[in-house]
Amino acid sequence: MKLLLTIKFLLITVCVSFAQEIRLTEFADLKQIYGKPLSSDDLLPMNELGVDFGYVLYESEVLIASEESVLKVENIRDFAAVYLDNELQGAIADNHKQLRLKSMPGKYRLRLYVENIGRITYGPEILDNLKGVFGEIQLNEEIIKHWTLTELKVKSFDIKHLKFSDIGQHTTPGFYKATFLTRRPRDKYLDLSGWGMGEAWINGNYLGSFWEQENQQSILIPAALLRKGMNEIVVFELKNNQQKSFKFSDVPVFK
Amino acid sequence: MELKIQVLRIVCSFMMMCLVGNLSGGTVEIDLSGEWGFQTDVMDFRRGSLSPRYNHKLQEKIVLPGITDDFQIGYKSPYRHIDRLTRKYEYMGPAWYQREITIPAEWKGKRIFVYFERTHWLSSIYVDTKEISKVDYISVPHVHDLTGFVTPGKTHLITVCIDNRFQYNTHKWNHAHTEFTQINWNGILGEMKLMALDPVYLDDLQVYPDISDNSVKVKIQIKNYSKSKFTGKAAFSIQGDNYNLKKEIAVSGKDSVFVVEEKILLGDNIRLWDEFNPHLYNISCELTTQTEEKTCQHEKATVFGMREVKQGKNHVLINNRPVHLRGNVENAVFPKTGYAPVDDASWERLMLIMKDYGMNHMRFHSWCPPKAAFRMADKHGIYLEVEMPMWGRDAEPDEDRYNFFRREQLAILREYGNHPSFILYCNGNEITGNFDFIEELTANGRAIDNRHLYSGSTARTRVKSDQYYVSQQTNKGPVKVYEGLPQTNWDRSAESDVDVPVISHESGQRCIYPNFDEIANFTGPVEARNFEVFREMLEANGMLDQAHDFFRASGALTVVEYKAVIEALLRSGKSAGFQLLSINDFPGQGYAPVGILDPFWESKGLITPEKFREFCAPTVALLRYDKSVFYANETFTAKAEVYNYSRAAIKNAKISWSVTDNSGKILRKGRLKTQTIANDGVFPVGDFTFNLRGIDVPQKLSVNLFINEDIKNSWNIWVYPPHTLLMKSTDEVLYTREFDEQAKQYLSQGKKVVFCPMPTKVKGRKSTFHNHFWNPIMFAWHPMTIGCLIHENHPVFDHFVTTYHTDWQWWDILENAKVIEMKNAPNGLRPFIQVIDSYDNNEKLGIGFEAKAGNGKLLVLALDTEKDMENRPATRQLLMSIDNYVNSDKFNPEITVNEDMIQSFLISE
Repeated sequence: MKLLLTIKFLLITVCVSFAQEIRLTEFADLKQIYGKPLSSDDLLPMNELGVDFGYVLYESEVLIASEESVLKVENIRDFAAVYLDNELQGAIADNHKQLRLKSMPGKYRLRLYVENIGRITYGPEILDNLKGVFGEIQLNEEIIKHWTLTELKVKSFDIKHLKFSDIGQHTTPGFYKATFLTRRPRDKYLDLSGWGMGEAWINGNYLGSFWEQENQQSILIPAALLRKGMNEIVVFELKNNQQKSFKFSDVPVFK
Repeated sequence: MELKIQVLRIVCSFMMMCLVGNLSGGTVEIDLSGEWGFQTDVMDFRRGSLSPRYNHKLQEKIVLPGITDDFQIGYKSPYRHIDRLTRKYEYMGPAWYQREITIPAEWKGKRIFVYFERTHWLSSIYVDTKEISKVDYISVPHVHDLTGFVTPGKTHLITVCIDNRFQYNTHKWNHAHTEFTQINWNGILGEMKLMALDPVYLDDLQVYPDISDNSVKVKIQIKNYSKSKFTGKAAFSIQGDNYNLKKEIAVSGKDSVFVVEEKILLGDNIRLWDEFNPHLYNISCELTTQTEEKTCQHEKATVFGMREVKQGKNHVLINNRPVHLRGNVENAVFPKTGYAPVDDASWERLMLIMKDYGMNHMRFHSWCPPKAAFRMADKHGIYLEVEMPMWGRDAEPDEDRYNFFRREQLAILREYGNHPSFILYCNGNEITGNFDFIEELTANGRAIDNRHLYSGSTARTRVKSDQYYVSQQTNKGPVKVYEGLPQTNWDRSAESDVDVPVISHESGQRCIYPNFDEIANFTGPVEARNFEVFREMLEANGMLDQAHDFFRASGALTVVEYKAVIEALLRSGKSAGFQLLSINDFPGQGYAPVGILDPFWESKGLITPEKFREFCAPTVALLRYDKSVFYANETFTAKAEVYNYSRAAIKNAKISWSVTDNSGKILRKGRLKTQTIANDGVFPVGDFTFNLRGIDVPQKLSVNLFINEDIKNSWNIWVYPPHTLLMKSTDEVLYTREFDEQAKQYLSQGKKVVFCPMPTKVKGRKSTFHNHFWNPIMFAWHPMTIGCLIHENHPVFDHFVTTYHTDWQWWDILENAKVIEMKNAPNGLRPFIQVIDSYDNNEKLGIGFEAKAGNGKLLVLALDTEKDMENRPATRQLLMSIDNYVNSDKFNPEITVNEDMIQSFLISE
C-alpha cells in the first residue's frame, strides 16, 4: 500500500513537473566562488587578473549626487550587469555603453558583474585582445577611481561544493537550485526565457549557458544526464532577473 | 597594351563568332568571346558623358573572357603589401567593353539575350546609344534581355560596362571579391554568348528528388511572350548509366509566366547519389508549343542526383544515413588567375585532391563558386556548403543591402539548386546585426527549396530556422579545436549536443613559416612581394640559410597539430563534422600559411595523402590515452575506437595493435576481440595495455592500431628512464639559476656553467608548444612564434630523443620555458632549441644555447627546472642529456658572448 502510494505520488509529481514550472528552492551566495581580489586606482582589463575569459566583479564606492545620474563606460567586453549596492540598475554591453541609474542620491557600492565568453569580432578592434572593462568609467562625466577586481570562478569551481540555503529574496547574482522528479529520462530542453545571463548544471554536470539577448532561450538536456527519480538543476544568474522558476520544453525555444 | 600572346586566341574566337549554329530545341547562340574594344573609366564619367550618345568607339582592345589584370590595365602597384599578396595592376571602377554585333535576320520574332557566366559586380548593356539593361548579381550568371532593343538583320554597337566597385555597403573581406584571396577583378569570365529563343520557352527547370518512392518532382517555368494561348507538350528524358526514361506531358496556357509541376516515377533501377556512389542523371525537357502564329521549341537540361538531405539529431542525414563531414574551408584562393576558375578541369583537380586527403566536404566561406565547382563536386561526391558574399556587419539595417541579399539568395538557390552536392546553405560568415533579417532569409530558404539544409550564420547568434550550426562554440561550450594536447582522451561531443547538428568551425589554423621557394610560382596577377620583405628581414638578421629549416620544422608541427585536431573531432561522436582552415594556404588577412598545401594546392612536402588518410578518412582507427611521455617503469593504457562513416559496417574486423621502435622492430603486440564494427558512428572496440619495463634506452615508440589489413593509424609516445641526481654541480661544472658571482668565477676560471634561469627572470616571450594561430600579423598577440627548430644533430641531444621539429615530448619543456630574444647575440650563434619568430619580425629567438664566455663555457636553458619535476620525464631526460654533454669533451662552444649579452635578456632585480 505504501509502495502504491509512493508510485501514485511520483506519478502526480511527474505530471505536475511537466505541466507546471519547476520552482526554485535554494540559493547559494556568490562569495563562495570569489577569487583573490586585486585593488587598483585605475580601471584594469580582466586580463590583469589573469582572466582571459569568464566572469569578474568590478567594485568601487560612488557618490550619487542626483537622481539623473548616468554611468558611461569606455570599453566593455562583452557584458556587465550593473548594481548599486544590491539593486540591479541594468546592463551594459559593447553596443550599449551608457546607463541611466535609478537610485536616490547617496553613497553606494557600484558593482559591475562582467562576463566575457571569448567572442571574436571582426573590425578594427581585432588586434586588441583586452577583456572586461577598461579605459575609463565615468559617473556624470567624472572618472571613477579605486577599483577592486575579483574573479568569479563560475566555471572552475566544482558546483557540488556550493553551500545552498533557503531561497529567500535575492537581487544580486548567485546560484539557484531546484529539484524535480523524472520517471523516464529523455532529451528535453531547459527553457530559461525571462532569465538574464548565466550558466546551468544538471546533477553536477555542466549543461550550458544562456543570455536573454540571444534568440535561443533553451539548453538541451541529454537524456544521459538525467536520473530516474530526483534530479537537481543549478542555475548561475549574473543579471538577476529574479525568476522564481523555469520550464521544460520538448522542442528548442527561440524568441 | 601587349596582345601578341593572345593573337591565336583571337583568331580562334573570330572563327567561333562566324559559327551561328542552330542548337537543338530552337535555341540559337552566338559566342561572344574574343576581341572587344576597351576603355578604362577610372573617373567614372563615361556613363554620364555624351560619348555613348555619339556612338564613340572605344580605342583600346581586350580579349574576353578575361580580366583587366591579364592586360596590365590599371594602377601599376609599386607596393609590397605585408598583409597579402600584391596585385600588380589594380583596377576598381567602371570599365567599358565594346563590339559591333550583327543580329541574324532569322532571329526575327525571337527573344534575344546576352549571357555572361560570371562577372564583377554590376554589368550594364548599351545598345548603340542607349543603356537598356543592368544586372548586379555576384554569384550567378548575368542575363540581359535585349529583345526589342536590337533589330534582327541589323548591326548594332553593343557596349558593356562592367563596374567592379562595391555596389552595396558590404564587408570588404568576403571571398567573392576580396583583395585578400581572389582579387576584386574587372572582366567577364566563362561562357559569354548571345542567345535567341522562341517566344515560348523554358525559363527554369528544377528537379526535386523523393527517395521514398523513387520519384522526382519536376518543376518547369514557361515564359510565354506570344501574347496568345499556347498548347503543346513537354517531353522529359532522363538519362544515366544504363538508365533511360522518357515521359511526355501536355502543356497549355495563356499567361506570360506559367509553372508546371510533374511527378515522374523513376522505378527501381534508379540509383541514389552520395559521396561513395555519386550516381548522376541528366534530365532534359523539350518544350514544343503552338501559338497562334508559330511553332515554338526550346530544350533545357540539368544534372540531378537522387539524394535527400535531412536534419538529424546530431548529424546531417544523406538519404537517411548520418554523414560526418570532413571538410575544408575554401576561400577563393586562386593566385594563379586572380579569379575562381570556371572550367571543369580546374575544379576536378581540387575535388580529387580533397578525396586524396580523405575529405568529403567543402565550405565556400562567404562566397558561392561557379557552376563547374558544383559539377565536379557532384561527380566526385563532395558535400558543399554554399554562402552568399556576406560577413560581419552585413546584417545591420540597410534596406538596399538587404534587398541585394534577398535577390542573391534566390538566385543561388535557383541556379545551383539541382546539384546534389549542394547540401548546405548558410547566409554568410560570422554575421552581426539584425538577426530578424537573418531569420527571414533562413526561413525563406527553407520554405522555397527543401533540397538543402539552412543555417543563419556561422559562429554567431542562432536563429530559429537553423537546421545546422557551424561554430566555435554552442551554448554547451566550445566546439572549436585549434590545437592538440599531449593526450587523446578528450573530445567535443557534449558541447556539440544541441538541438541541431553542429560542425566545428575553422578548425586548425596553425601557422607555418612561409616557404620562400614559392615566390617564383606567383606568375599570375598577384606576386608574393611580402615574402620578399620577410626574406630580406631574415637575411638582415643573418638567418637566411635557415629559411627552409624554419619552414619544414614549423610545417611538421602543423602536421602534428592537424592529426590531433582532426582526431579529436572524429572522437566526438555527436559532432556533425569539421571544416579545416585549411588544407591550403590563405594568402591574405596578414598571410596565413596554415596549409599542408600551398596556395596553388600543391603539396608542401610535409605529409603524404596516404599518411593524412590514416587520421582523415571514412574509416579511422582512434586511440584514447592519457599521456604521451612515460617513465620506463610505467604502463601504457589505451582505449581503442573506430570512427566509421564508410560504405558499410566492417564485418568480423580483425583488430590488432603493436608497439614498434624507430627501426620498425615490434616490441609489443596484441589483438582485440574480432568483432563487427557498425557504420555511421564512433565505436569503442576494446582496451589494451602494455608495460614499458625493459625499455632502458630513451626512445620514441610508435603505438600502432590496425583494423584488418587496410586501416592503420599510429601515435608517438616517448619512454625515458627515470633520472635522479640531476643538475648536480661539480668542481668543473656549475648548475645555477642565477648568473651570479659564482657563475662568473667559474667562467673566468675556464670552467663550465649551465645557467637555467627561471622563466620569470627572463625577458622575452612566453613559450608555448603551439605555433601561432592563423598568423601573427592579423592576430598580433601571444605567442608571436611559430614553433621551434631543433638542432637535432647537436650532441646536447645525444641522450634526448628528438628530430628537427617539436612533437608531443616537447610539451612539458616548451610549456615551462621562456623564449629569449637574442638580437644582441653574435651573428653566428645559433640556439640549439631555436624558436621561430613571426615572419614579419624574424629575430633570433631561443630557449637553449651555448657560448664561450669569459674563459669558460656556458650553456643557457631558459626553463623552469623546479616545478612538478616528478611528472616531467622529458624535461628530466633533457637535463640528463645536457649533463652528459657538458661533462664530455664534446662541449666546445664556438661563439663568444660577453656579459652584456647575458644581462640583456635577464630581468634585473
